[in-house]
Amino acid sequence: MTSILWTIVLVTVLGAVLAMVLYLVASKFKVEEDPRIDEVEKVMPGANCGGCGFAGCRAFAQSCVEKGNLDDNFCPVGGNDVMKKVAAILGLEASVKAPMVAVVRCNGSCEARPKTTVYDGKQSCRVKAALYAGDTACSYGCLGCGDCVDACVFGALSMDPVTGLPVVSESKCTACGACAKACPKGVIELRAKGPRSMRVFVSCINKDKGAVARKACKNACIGCGKCAKVCTHEAITLENNVAYIDFNKCKLCKKCVAECPTGAIHAVHFPEPKPTPAPAVAPEPQKSQQDGQ
Amino acid sequence: MDNKFTFRIGGVHPADRKLSRDCAIEVLPLPEKVSVSMAQHLGAPAKPVVAPGDRVKTGQVIAEPAGFVSAFVHSPVTGTVTAVASKADLAGKMVMHIDIDVEKDEWAEGIDLTPELVTPLPDDKQLILDRIKAAGVVGLGGATFPTHIKLCPPPGKTAEYLIINGAECEPYLTSDYRMMLERPREILIGAALMQKVLGGPKCIAAVEDNKPEAVESLKDALHFLQLFSKDYENIEIRVLKKKYPQGGEKQLIDAVTGRQVKSMGLPIDAGAVVQNVATSFAVYEAVQKKKPLLTNVLSVTGDCLPPERQHNYLFRIGIPLRYIAQVAGGVPEEAVKIVSGGPMMGKAIANLDATTVKGSSSLLYLSAKQTLRREEGPCIRCGKCAQACPMGLEPFLLKKLAEVGDQQALEQNAVQDCLECGCCQYTCPAYLPLLDTIRIAKADVLNLIKSRPKN
Repeated sequence: MTSILWTIVLVTVLGAVLAMVLYLVASKFKVEEDPRIDEVEKVMPGANCGGCGFAGCRAFAQSCVEKGNLDDNFCPVGGNDVMKKVAAILGLEASVKAPMVAVVRCNGSCEARPKTTVYDGKQSCRVKAALYAGDTACSYGCLGCGDCVDACVFGALSMDPVTGLPVVSESKCTACGACAKACPKGVIELRAKGPRSMRVFVSCINKDKGAVARKACKNACIGCGKCAKVCTHEAITLENNVAYIDFNKCKLCKKCVAECPTGAIHAVHFPEPKPTPAPAVAPEPQKSQQDGQ
Repeated sequence: MDNKFTFRIGGVHPADRKLSRDCAIEVLPLPEKVSVSMAQHLGAPAKPVVAPGDRVKTGQVIAEPAGFVSAFVHSPVTGTVTAVASKADLAGKMVMHIDIDVEKDEWAEGIDLTPELVTPLPDDKQLILDRIKAAGVVGLGGATFPTHIKLCPPPGKTAEYLIINGAECEPYLTSDYRMMLERPREILIGAALMQKVLGGPKCIAAVEDNKPEAVESLKDALHFLQLFSKDYENIEIRVLKKKYPQGGEKQLIDAVTGRQVKSMGLPIDAGAVVQNVATSFAVYEAVQKKKPLLTNVLSVTGDCLPPERQHNYLFRIGIPLRYIAQVAGGVPEEAVKIVSGGPMMGKAIANLDATTVKGSSSLLYLSAKQTLRREEGPCIRCGKCAQACPMGLEPFLLKKLAEVGDQQALEQNAVQDCLECGCCQYTCPAYLPLLDTIRIAKADVLNLIKSRPKN
């Protein structure tokens, strides 16, 4: 009986002493942290994707609180809504940014861009790009091993088995930019999402001369400059044999889309007769194939 | 066997397969067109100094070095420049090329075309260096590093050894072997010239023991040259025990001198300069004959080819690969992959329309069976890769670290020391793509190191 009593007394005393020690240590070494960091972190999406340029959501929150302004801090995942909340907590003004989305700027489907070699190495775009220019005659386009799909933590990317190109699910894409970083060819670009997701962009980055590019891929931009001439908003620039549409200047008039001889300019999510270039271009290669035979 | 040297750590023993070893060097006839690449050496691509329409003579400078680490490029033929434009190299990457229509073979003035051996060495070191530089000589062992830079050790460092690399440890390749058989005197004179530039270090020509004929040939040549001059006293021929990758600079230094180059170090840190036998020959021609680096020897070989179709060609640098394949009787049907270089470190040719460069050493035809990629299995932690690695790295660990992207740990584990010899992947029983992964990690870590501020 006494041993039980002794045990209880001993444990109680020990507990009290240790609690005292813990209390003293905790108060002595207390780290003063701005409580707003926790508050800001709570409204963050919590994906820890790194799209903002910080190690994670907490690092982003800490930076917002410590800097005292939100000029350079933007959470691409949460977008303007989250930034408004963050601004409200901190009593600051948040910069409003147009929502962005990842856009695959390669149109070289299996059909349009014939394979010239067989690649049987590790299925990784980076490994493939380190070995050679790619298994087609185009040395700029998508390599098709899906590094971008692996890089996406939101599951917004998938490989289309028919075209061999990645497809972005716009509802899931948060424009964190992980895929753009993962792509060794720089095929993926973050572009403004546009009103009701309507966008016009050149779906090719081939810098070869027209004849070379065309030979490698039927859907390639050949750098003819017709689009730049027809554009009334000076949104299109032609550099290194490839056209680029500045999404800040583009007014979505779609004149360039009709003008492009190879269908390299894509206009997506426009209402009515959706002129998605895939069907518009598809008959053409078939014809020229027959011609070739 | 104990008296033969080799490097201490790792290494593998792939089958020799020197099928073209008995084929004498043939001079490849000139094609109608040649295409000379501007990126034939390590470092900055050369800058073209000719324009379309210009007439050029054989041996005339057509491109100048663009930077410190760069080299001259000369026209391999006489004819008219038709284009100066970007073209796909053998990996399909766009590189500036100069296309020339071949008319005849009229050499530029001042080049000694006589076959006589020139044994007296020039006394002026600077003259030797200038001629090497002007001839556009680069390391022909594979890395194509400009030779004149390698022969100027940084201040405070002196070369105690000049090693002439005749290891040719890659299976199949026989170009260096044939050079050692057919041009041993020139190789040794080239070695003596480099020895002179470096201030008289001990010169050792190292040959693996699977090439006894080459050893004999070099020894005979050395005796012959020693009769003429005292310049050749300090040269030694050494036989090494065959092991891959003995031809790697750091492995060869270990095998020959017993010194190890420290991690991230250069061969000169161990007091050694390594030059390939073909480079040595090019140095001889550059200095004694004032002949620029226009030719190299290339083996056309492979198990798909019958013995009579194996060849060693003396080719003009800039001749398209497809032309060489045609002269050699066309690409055999069984060949599914053509490799430029040896099967261990060579590069698969993605574009046969590409041109030959200074470092081209073979057209190796591989059959479907030889190129079979087996399905990857799980790592069973057998440690074979760590045993095989000649740099003493742990490839299985590096692969794991590369997969999680821990670049600091990769750097601590000396990923930068990897020489990409492929021993790990060759020996892996699970067929893991070890080297593929490590090569990427190496590039990442290099970027990390470069991004650091220099203090």
